[in-house]
Amino acid sequence: MEIEQFRYDNKIVQKFLYATMLWGVVGMLVGLLLAFMFLFPNITDGISWLSFGRLRPLHTNAVIFAFVGNAIFAGVYYSLQRLLKTRMFSDALSSINFWGWQLIIVAAALTLPLGYTTSKEYAELEWPIDLAIAVVWVVFGWNMIGTILKRRQRHLYVAVWFYLATFVTVAVLHIFNSLELPVGALKSYSVYAGVQDALVQWWYGHNAVAFFLTTPFLGLMYYFVPKAANRPVYSYRLSIVHFWSLIFIYIWAGPHHLLYSALPDWAQNLGVVFSVMLIAPSWGGMINGLLTLRGVWDKVRSDATLKFMVVAITGYGMATFEGPMLSLKNVHAIAHFSDWIIAHEHVGALARNGFLTFGMIYLLVPKMFKTTLYSKGLANFHFWIGTLGIVLYALPMYVAGFTQALMWKEFNPDGSLVYGNFLETVSQIIPMYWMRAIGGSLYILGMLIMVYNVVVTIRKGSSVEDELAEAAPHTRVTKRRLDGENFHNW
Amino acid sequence: MLDKRCYHCGDSCGNQSVHFDDKDFCCHGCKTVYEIFSTNGLSHFYELEAKAGFTPNTVKHKYDFLDNAEIVSQLTEFDEEGIQVINLNIPNIHCSSCIWLLENLNKLHPAISVSQVNFPAKTVRVTFRTSGFSLKALALLLASIGYEPYLALDDYSKDIKKTDRSLLYKLGVAGFAFGNVMLLSFPEYFESGEFWLEQYKVVFRWVMFAFSLPVVFYAAQDYFKSAIRGLRSKILNIDVPIALGILVLFLRSTVDIVLDLGSGFFDSLTGLVFFLLLGKFFQQKTYAFLSFERDYKSYFPIAVTRIAEENTEENIQIHNVNRGDRLLIRNQEILPVDCTLLKGDAKIDYSFVTGESRPVVKQVGEKLFAGGKQLSGVLEVEVLKSVSQSYLTQLWGNSIFSKDKTTAFQTLTDSIGRRFTLIVLTIAISASMYWLVFDAAKALNVFTAVLIIACPCAIALAAPFTLGNMLRIFGKCGFYLKNTNVIERLAKINMAIFDKTGTITTMDEDVVHYEGLELTKAEKNMLATTLRASSHPLSRSLYSILKSNDIVTLDEFHEYEGKGLEAKSAKHTIKVGSASYVGHEPLGQTLNTAVYISSDEEIKGKFVFKNRYREGVAHLFKELQKRMELGILSGDTDGERIRLQKILPVHAKIAFGQKPQDKLFFIKELQKTHEVLMVGDGLNDAGALAQSDVGIAVSENINVFSPACDAILDAKALVRLPLFVELSQKSIKIIKLSFLLSLCYNLVGLYFAVTGQLQPVIAAILMPLSSISVVAFTTLATNLFGRNLNNKV
Amino acid sequence: MSVIYVLLTISISVAVVFFMAFIRSVRAGQYDDAYTPSVRMLFEDELVPPGKENTKVKTEGENQNKDTNQ
Repeated sequence: MEIEQFRYDNKIVQKFLYATMLWGVVGMLVGLLLAFMFLFPNITDGISWLSFGRLRPLHTNAVIFAFVGNAIFAGVYYSLQRLLKTRMFSDALSSINFWGWQLIIVAAALTLPLGYTTSKEYAELEWPIDLAIAVVWVVFGWNMIGTILKRRQRHLYVAVWFYLATFVTVAVLHIFNSLELPVGALKSYSVYAGVQDALVQWWYGHNAVAFFLTTPFLGLMYYFVPKAANRPVYSYRLSIVHFWSLIFIYIWAGPHHLLYSALPDWAQNLGVVFSVMLIAPSWGGMINGLLTLRGVWDKVRSDATLKFMVVAITGYGMATFEGPMLSLKNVHAIAHFSDWIIAHEHVGALARNGFLTFGMIYLLVPKMFKTTLYSKGLANFHFWIGTLGIVLYALPMYVAGFTQALMWKEFNPDGSLVYGNFLETVSQIIPMYWMRAIGGSLYILGMLIMVYNVVVTIRKGSSVEDELAEAAPHTRVTKRRLDGENFHNW
Repeated sequence: MLDKRCYHCGDSCGNQSVHFDDKDFCCHGCKTVYEIFSTNGLSHFYELEAKAGFTPNTVKHKYDFLDNAEIVSQLTEFDEEGIQVINLNIPNIHCSSCIWLLENLNKLHPAISVSQVNFPAKTVRVTFRTSGFSLKALALLLASIGYEPYLALDDYSKDIKKTDRSLLYKLGVAGFAFGNVMLLSFPEYFESGEFWLEQYKVVFRWVMFAFSLPVVFYAAQDYFKSAIRGLRSKILNIDVPIALGILVLFLRSTVDIVLDLGSGFFDSLTGLVFFLLLGKFFQQKTYAFLSFERDYKSYFPIAVTRIAEENTEENIQIHNVNRGDRLLIRNQEILPVDCTLLKGDAKIDYSFVTGESRPVVKQVGEKLFAGGKQLSGVLEVEVLKSVSQSYLTQLWGNSIFSKDKTTAFQTLTDSIGRRFTLIVLTIAISASMYWLVFDAAKALNVFTAVLIIACPCAIALAAPFTLGNMLRIFGKCGFYLKNTNVIERLAKINMAIFDKTGTITTMDEDVVHYEGLELTKAEKNMLATTLRASSHPLSRSLYSILKSNDIVTLDEFHEYEGKGLEAKSAKHTIKVGSASYVGHEPLGQTLNTAVYISSDEEIKGKFVFKNRYREGVAHLFKELQKRMELGILSGDTDGERIRLQKILPVHAKIAFGQKPQDKLFFIKELQKTHEVLMVGDGLNDAGALAQSDVGIAVSENINVFSPACDAILDAKALVRLPLFVELSQKSIKIIKLSFLLSLCYNLVGLYFAVTGQLQPVIAAILMPLSSISVVAFTTLATNLFGRNLNNKV
Repeated sequence: MSVIYVLLTISISVAVVFFMAFIRSVRAGQYDDAYTPSVRMLFEDELVPPGKENTKVKTEGENQNKDTNQ
């Protein structure tokens, strides 16, 4: 029962943070290039590996798995150690996790432009990389569960549950969706065929959004928002209910991506109903996050970290309200294949994931380098320019989406299309594409400012790679006490 | 060299002083505490109170009984291999800094390894090594940082009150099954006859069946048990139709899928159980930091010091105290038994018993009653009666204390449930009779359909959600109820009886007026300065009234415990204290407490203290008499009768000089004709509180224990009592209205059922719809009324 | 569409795993106190490594002892 001293592994968190910033800039630059290709379709003419079709999956993969993925690892590795009062289970596994993941990203960055793809959205990578992802992901889970088992804190904070759920579900989804028969070093065929493949793909695809972009970020929200505001989450009880209700129904919402497809109607409708039901737990979480800040709004005014988090939570709320709406068949009829989907997705990615990540970086870097942020002014500037970027990105895309939908459904009296040529709709929304490109540029500019701010901060600080802490070991509850159950025993 | 005082505890530093941060400390322990406080922004602790870490002398012996190994083993949760674990109740926990400090106890003493706070319950669980440390040392350490642990044996009794988590499991099972069954049942509602669906539906249906098994046989078992219990005692409670509904739902659904008649009602079944359990869960709001079950044992010490034959002292548990034992009662200790004073100045504070905080002085040879707290010096007493036989404690021998008011009371839901069951059964039987004649094949279908659709889910939810919500609203206003049942009982009250002292009078504020020769300015200043130096409650309260800006330097100051104060300054002497001490012959028997003053041995006069009624008591009585009859039941003499009669209605019952037993019988007598509410505060009201239909304990500080009761009312909210009663009555109206609402849904459903057209999808829509609308209606209505409550006062 | 069987099996298995985790955590008393953990996570537990300050205090304390002894 002696108090034990141990050291938190900050080095791994720092590495993941660097990777987050690096890949964030790279992934978004690719996105910016794509945005400009809408305006200048011929800028990469003749270079096959810079063609739109190859860069688009590179952009989505880089942002989702490289930028957000590394941010998740950074946040999890930082908070898990502190919530459980222990160092990570194994430094070797942490290292494998880090370098393995970066290797996968590099492999993706090479194979996707070269045209190697399975053509499954968000699962484009070919089988050897799929295998590597499975291995590294399991290493991450192994490391996390090992850490949980050797913890010194009996209670598992709700964030840890979100991390656990992320690991388990993403593992299952990735493995079952990526079942494929290799026919060459970089070529394989899915084991599922036709509409069955589509069903599995979107069961995966939706849940990739749910369990890779949402649950880990909810966990991070439940850790970093209270930390930044220095006050407990509004209702911890609600956060527990939030977790368990989300877990029990989130996994069923997938089929809404296949509305108006060859999927049987009942399966489509099932996806709709479960998507709509998801509003309740999602908004429960959002309200819980926002109400945590009640009473510290004056702090929000001056603190960039909190501002980023407020917009991130609001973005989460907007995206999780919009999602179920989009899954309704009549709304979907408008949005299907239009730029509305792009807007919806980017509100989620830029606001919820991006801004929470930025907030986390501004919070963690000064903490881990034992100094203060180099410039609060720059951080605030980043916030405003980033927000402006999101607005300039999302609003024109909504307008563009509606314009497209309306034009596509305009019929002549004889039943033929008024705008028979697809290019007519495209030329109509060129101004929106311009605004989108400007919005995106502002967002990236903000990010570059952050990188500068962080680099200077790190220079003036001193890195503490292994942070000392102490706690008493976690004692197993004796049988006698469990039987009695008369005292709380965590 | 000047004597240095420790910055933390105020003790003399002696020759062991530790210098740190420009401050002196008497030991490394104090320095560490200071360091922890200051490095964590907690140094305001010292601004609040100089000598903050000072261990009051009175506390020093308070935990001596923890030297007794037997007592320690009863208190600890775990005691093996030199490690002890104890869960301590600390009423002072109130903010997150408290949590932080108490979870860092290991920094204060190396023997402590883990300490974990449970904030809602105000407890801290400490694990420590016994070598070089002990439970007593821990208690003293906690007391020294301002977190005096509260130890009472009955809290640690080994007939464990199990934390009942079964409802949580059941809710989990039902919720989990409900979610999955919905997934499997919906496809058949969306599209029937589709090729693939036809292939899967058999699997879907059997998986649903599998999910429903744990729901019916585990999650819903309480409803079956309660229904059977009700039927055995020939009561048709609300659980009878519910259990019947669940059973019929399950059997009918199973038959449906076995014979391929349809998809069954598994979603309605699991949803029904889930919603019902949710209601139960919502109703179960408990205040972990309050206890509604306290008896005298919570107030009394765990152990006392007995003086054995050879004048040696030993600590014994109070149930081992026998008649004839000689006991040592120290300053601030509570008398556990009735006894005779043998030695010492007795000045007893009976506030636990009567609510009256002013001490009573007793002479050697006089009888002292259990429950009083000694305020000055050490006493030696001889025990007259054992603990349970004492004047106050024998009250708990009355059988009323083992009665459960909840079971005897028939709730609105149950009384409606009885009629409801009869009507439903009549409809079911007559409808199936009709179909037996016209289309016999449909008879069974109709019979089961009626029982399914009439299952009173919404009715069963109305009360839990209304009352549960009201309970929370009350809680926010400082009115803490034991359970939701109290609201229903409160709504029926037509007579309210109040205790006087401590209930409608305040404990800390006094009305003081001066009688005698006028004091000069110099005398006043000197008096104020003298009082300032004393910590006696009367001095404190007098000082707070007389406050003077001109502080005189006192040359001499003496405090004679149990007598008074004496101070000298610039050749003037002032004496403050009891009549006999100051040299005054008390003129006649005064009912009120008085402090006598003499200046330079010349008697000047006296300050007389009078009870002050709580603000708004007159208003309280005025409002309450619109709804019920009133009465006062006091243990005091009738000195206040005339004042009380002025604010009470003419025909109010007023009784003085009531002993605890008398109070109980008084209430019992009234109950022959009335539903009686008792409002009291002290242990002497415990009998009346238990006997009454609703017993409310008024408390100035809800962290301090209140006697067993149905509700604890923050003294500040006492004037709101009429509003609470009004809201309780409104709650009953809300419940009745929601019964009507759910009846409408039932009628629609019954139409489908009786005509033999009930499809699973109709049940699947109606059932949640009626439940959700009832929950929404009750929540909105209660919140609306609740908002009025906040606006009114 | 036989892939439905696969998806159903996987989803229900995952759900059952989480459900068991839920029961286990309730049984272990994880949710008995649904407030204090949210405050506890706010406390920073990083230690400042023992530096000069402490030793300084000690020597000063000793000096003091000498003073008072004289």
